[in-house]
Amino acid sequence: MRRLSSLAWRSLGARKLRSFLTMVGIGLGVAVLYVSLSAGAAMDAAVDKAAADEIGKADVRVLALEERGLSKATVDVIDRIAGVSVVAPALERRSYLSASLTQTPTATLPPPVTVLGIDPVREPMLHDLPLVSGRLLAATDGQSALITQTLASGERLGLGDTISLNGTVAAGPQDYKIVGIVRGDGPLPRAEGRLVFLPLDSAQTLFGTTSITRVDLRAGPGVSVDELVGQLDATIQTQPYLLSRTQDLADSLRAEMADFRGALLLVAAVVLFAGAFLIFNTLSMTVAERGREVGLLRAAGTTRSQVMSFVLLQALVLGVLGSVLGVVCGIGLAVLTLSWVRSSGALDLAAPVLSAGSIAMALLIGVGITLAASLEPAWRAGRIPPVEALRRGPNGAVAGAARLRWLVLVFGVLALAALAMWPRASAGSSTGSLATGSGSSMWGPLVVYGLLLSTVLLLPLILGPLLRVAGLPFRIFRNEERLARSSLARDRSRTALTAGALVVSLAMVVALGTAAQNVRKIGANWLAETIPGSELLTSIRPISTTDPIIGQLAAVPGIKSISPIGIFGAPYVYTTQSGGRSHKSVVRQEAAAIVGRDYLGDGRLTFVAGDRASALGALDASGSVIVPESLADAANIRVGDSVEFATSTAPSRLHVVGIVAHSIPAGAQEAILIGWSDALNQFGVSGADFYAVRFVPGQEALGRAALDSAATSYALQPNDLDRVTGTVGDALDRIFRLLDALALIAVLVAGLGMVNTLSMTVLERGREIGVLRATGMTSRQVWGMVVIEAGILGVVGAIIGALVGLAVGALLVLWSSGGFGLAFDPPWPSIGLAVCFGILVSITAAIYPAGLASRQSIVQALQHE
Amino acid sequence: MRDAVILEARNLTKRYRLGTRDVDALRGVSLQVRRGEFVALMGPSGSGKSTLLQLLGGLDRPTSGEVVLDGEVVSHLSDAEATRLRREKTGFVFQFFNLIPLLDVYENVALPYTIAGVDPRHGDAADRIREVLELVDLQGRERNRPDQLSAGEQQRVALARALVAKPAILLADEPTGNLDYATGGEILDELWHSCDALGQTIVLVTHDARAAAHADRVLVVGDGKIRDEIELGRRSTNRDAGPLIARLAQLGL
Repeated sequence: MRRLSSLAWRSLGARKLRSFLTMVGIGLGVAVLYVSLSAGAAMDAAVDKAAADEIGKADVRVLALEERGLSKATVDVIDRIAGVSVVAPALERRSYLSASLTQTPTATLPPPVTVLGIDPVREPMLHDLPLVSGRLLAATDGQSALITQTLASGERLGLGDTISLNGTVAAGPQDYKIVGIVRGDGPLPRAEGRLVFLPLDSAQTLFGTTSITRVDLRAGPGVSVDELVGQLDATIQTQPYLLSRTQDLADSLRAEMADFRGALLLVAAVVLFAGAFLIFNTLSMTVAERGREVGLLRAAGTTRSQVMSFVLLQALVLGVLGSVLGVVCGIGLAVLTLSWVRSSGALDLAAPVLSAGSIAMALLIGVGITLAASLEPAWRAGRIPPVEALRRGPNGAVAGAARLRWLVLVFGVLALAALAMWPRASAGSSTGSLATGSGSSMWGPLVVYGLLLSTVLLLPLILGPLLRVAGLPFRIFRNEERLARSSLARDRSRTALTAGALVVSLAMVVALGTAAQNVRKIGANWLAETIPGSELLTSIRPISTTDPIIGQLAAVPGIKSISPIGIFGAPYVYTTQSGGRSHKSVVRQEAAAIVGRDYLGDGRLTFVAGDRASALGALDASGSVIVPESLADAANIRVGDSVEFATSTAPSRLHVVGIVAHSIPAGAQEAILIGWSDALNQFGVSGADFYAVRFVPGQEALGRAALDSAATSYALQPNDLDRVTGTVGDALDRIFRLLDALALIAVLVAGLGMVNTLSMTVLERGREIGVLRATGMTSRQVWGMVVIEAGILGVVGAIIGALVGLAVGALLVLWSSGGFGLAFDPPWPSIGLAVCFGILVSITAAIYPAGLASRQSIVQALQHE
Repeated sequence: MRDAVILEARNLTKRYRLGTRDVDALRGVSLQVRRGEFVALMGPSGSGKSTLLQLLGGLDRPTSGEVVLDGEVVSHLSDAEATRLRREKTGFVFQFFNLIPLLDVYENVALPYTIAGVDPRHGDAADRIREVLELVDLQGRERNRPDQLSAGEQQRVALARALVAKPAILLADEPTGNLDYATGGEILDELWHSCDALGQTIVLVTHDARAAAHADRVLVVGDGKIRDEIELGRRSTNRDAGPLIARLAQLGL
């Protein structure tokens, strides 16, 4: 066996460039896979950290569902539950540093801070607060504060300094002495590092409340979490609340990232497929070239399995070297990728960790795919008969069926690998809602994957007409085009597979571009359809509807109307039928308080059921609700039904007066629409979170300028509606562009595959090229012929890739739009660019083999034995 | 015109590099071929006869010396010029037929026109292709692909392809080497016929005395040199190889 293995080495060394290109191809595939794996690991780490930071050592968190929070009485009830060892209440509010407000009288507000009022004694029992300096809050502390390191450096504050926070109008700004600095960003990711801890009493005074936002609980010794939850359910009767456990929180956070991870895996699978194709071609070429050698070995008594292991050994060498190269590149790529994702702000990620698990997994899959891809050529080599030694010239014929076998095998192995790595699905969480279409379904990517596979399988069948169409642009070189086309038609399955790698990778590029464009557009249309105005004024805290601010803003010249909107969680009573018995559960349903008449004028909100005018009127009158179609479908709600809410005063029932196609987006849901009087009286909403502003037609510029300066003085952040959608769109764009960039790597790998395939056909056609040259074809014509061959392949790949990409894009849009009926609008310029890129890569890939063909010595090509 | 020299080799040498040592395939060959003449190059394998043919046809360049074809010095031409010269003035027939498997008989024969950018389906080109197909007795087989033809038929297609553009000179490298006795004889007769009836100049490389006996003149190549010249003369009927074989035996071949 030693001699055979040295033959394998020599065989690789004899074709250095080919071996190198193959290795690079595997390497690129493994690099993208590594990015996918390490992004997954980083997300898991981020999720675990976020969940641990949020809940700490608590077993259960009781979260106020209503805006006004949990009352002192409720906290006292919880405190008395037997079996609870620690009860840590906290109040979370947002505010501004008063100094920053007075210093910056500009159109943009400074970033707000999050204030967390904590029990100085109980909080540290459940949450670690690592300090960089100073001390924790003490029970005796009054006007003292802890701030995060990030806030300290951002605002140039230090230990012993005074921090001044804005509270209610009545309380005015309050000063606190900084007694400690918490490491880094602190434990609350949504605070983005701008976090201030106050003693609970001080915080309640500052914000003029006696309630709290959440209570963290720890079960006593011998009490299980389930028992504790049961006790809570039995005890808290007066106020709606949500319970969550660490695992629930982690699961729901994970579910948010699942789509991104799924997409990353899909892209990695596509790059790996292109890489696997490269392996297949390289080894097929080796087998073809060495057919005579193998025949000789067989004649000399080498067994089939020895011959197979000769090929597999080469694959192993390429696979190991390529995978190691890939992991090294992947680590660099992962650092770039994750910093890119982080900068998009869409996902909160820690720096990529060099995890042995990810490295081992990437190596394993890289080598595994390589070996899977080489099984077919190895098997074919094993079947080379000894008489092959007597034949002349390379015999590269690979049966179409063999290639299809290979294709299905590699797709299967890739699918299994992807399934093994699929992000763990959330097991359902108690913060759950009736959210539709979110979560980590693997069916979507699987359907996409299947679509890609069947395209490649069907390609040989339609290749004839395709080649004719694809040849059209090259018709000016009639002879070269004709010869190139017939050369491609010679071995349809090989041509289809070569083009297939390009089709699959370009399809991904086009699909992602299409999805990005449409998701952005859906976002824009969504807001335009549901917000009654062209400008939003957002507040960090609800503003009371009786606040004179609304009248003052309405008086600003150029403004036609100001419409307050409040977003809140409604305790929706959801009835499920199981075993013939109906079971009621309370879920958080996002809701929006709106002024119905503000929607009457301009036809915003599309009603799919119910009368528009009377429904909007009924909303203002109270007792009514307008439901988005997505919820109506999920919960089987019709106009005329009544829906129940577990509000604290008494369960309230609201009458469904209309169903709208789309409603105001809130969190991951569409909000149900409720009139202001119900929101204030029944749901405990304290005020508006933002105002939608409509300008007098023709006075937008004037109105906007006046509004911007007025709004800032009321601590309202003015936002152009276009800018709001733009910001959201930008974050999405960055994610999509990243995926796109990774998919472009697949196109490059497909290009490497093309270098190999074209080199192989040039090698096989050596004698033919010799005849053409002897008959008077110039070397330039030969060069052109090979380049045109690649060009035609590129056009085939580009056409089919674009078509399949559009189909996949349409599917992605369908899944991600939540049924938003939007005219499908592909980004033609970028699709055009992707198509040109594909053709360009193909033509570039032809330069080396074309050079080989044109430089080929006629004499050698024609030499007879 | 008949006596005009159409092809001339002047002191040709060709040196190959084989691994670390140089091999002299040709060591100063000079020869002249007259228009309409049928010349055979004979010699044992490795004698340099195929190399000589490749240099004469402009497929390869000599290390020194020059080849003059129809008044043009082939050996000094650029690749593009040599290609043009091949297209316009030479036709090749090889031992392994070397047809393009994707093209049918008509397209294979039409290849020199196609490469030159002339539409082979119309006009003079089409007439000429019909003419040579008739000459090699392949009319009616135009739509067949090479793999649907017998070896002899394939070689006749190759011959038609070599003749179609009316080359100044036809170069044939062991054209019967891969054919059985009878079929080989047919091909040789076709060659002789094109020379005798159409005035086609032919240089034939062979190690088969029976094939060489068709030629007007036989040049015996050995050790990279012309070792002997045997003038057989044009014989329309009796092409008995006996006298040639006897002469070759005298030379120790």
